[in-house]
Amino acid sequence: MIAALWHNLDYAASVILFCIGLYAVITKENLIKKFMGLNIMETAVFAFIVAIGVVDGGEAPIMGPGVEPPFINPLPQALILTGIVVALSTTALALSLIIRIWRQCGTIEANELREVE
Amino acid sequence: MMRRALVIFVLVAVAIPLMLAMAELPRHGSPDAPPQTHVAPYYLEHGPEEAGAENIVTAVILNYRGLDTQGEVTVIFTAMAAVVAVLVAGGAGVPADRAAAPATTPVSLIVRFIVRVLAPFIVLFSVYVILNGHVTPGGGFQGGTILGALLIALTLIMSESDARALLPQRPERLLQAAAPLTFFAVGMIGLLLTGDYLAYPHSGPTIWIATLMLTVVEIGIGIGGAMVVATIFRTMGADR
Repeated sequence: MIAALWHNLDYAASVILFCIGLYAVITKENLIKKFMGLNIMETAVFAFIVAIGVVDGGEAPIMGPGVEPPFINPLPQALILTGIVVALSTTALALSLIIRIWRQCGTIEANELREVE
Repeated sequence: MMRRALVIFVLVAVAIPLMLAMAELPRHGSPDAPPQTHVAPYYLEHGPEEAGAENIVTAVILNYRGLDTQGEVTVIFTAMAAVVAVLVAGGAGVPADRAAAPATTPVSLIVRFIVRVLAPFIVLFSVYVILNGHVTPGGGFQGGTILGALLIALTLIMSESDARALLPQRPERLLQAAAPLTFFAVGMIGLLLTGDYLAYPHSGPTIWIATLMLTVVEIGIGIGGAMVVATIFRTMGADR
């Protein structure tokens, strides 16, 4: 298994990144830090999917004179472009909700918010 | 202590199955892995003459999967609307002691000067990235983000009212919705030309029409994206 993972080092790295994000989501009480953790998890998924499209020795999929195959798979990149924009949207909405919570309750620590009720 | 053990247990329980799955996947970079052998070769082979864009990523997001991208720009516009709704519409509940919190710190002269000097070049670069999205890396989203970053930088160095005066007040709402609206307009043109919504003229001598439509969509996405990013920032930064 270690040998197989060594070939798929890029994928393993995104798993580690995912776990770092999950750690932040689970343990941090500050809502902004929690959301940063969620963003790290998103980034891990993006990195993983983009890494799937990599071809050995491939060039960027931009045609024109003087380029020749192999090309990198354009499909994961296009899908992740969509994903990044959606991640931006959710981040903006979550941050605005956090600002609203701070205005209403005066704190964004999850444990203190539980007591406010 | 108990809690920390539980956290470690959860992380390990997530990581080990994922690692096992990653080890089972086809080797990283192998050209005959399933993702490389199905639809991607078609796009790579036929993209340039069929979609009117030499950058295949642009061809995929704006032509082959244009409907997805229309949904995506609608999502980012909706996010902006939601941010404004959350922060502006219900802003009445600010406690008095926090409403008087100090305003943003004044920016130093150096920052001010540098942003002013660089601004025209940043605009030029973003226009280049937007307009060349079909032949070079880049496109509407990327160029729009550069333009949006410039708008944010200008908001930082100027007072709120000066920054607002930079943009014409009346079409502001229209510009924020530029991306979905452009998509709709180009989609309707596609309906007229080919009979299908958001369809582009196929290969042949009329391929330049497809390229032109792609460029129009890129411009719309660029302007709309920049306005949305800047509006989100401004709404969050406003001292209210």
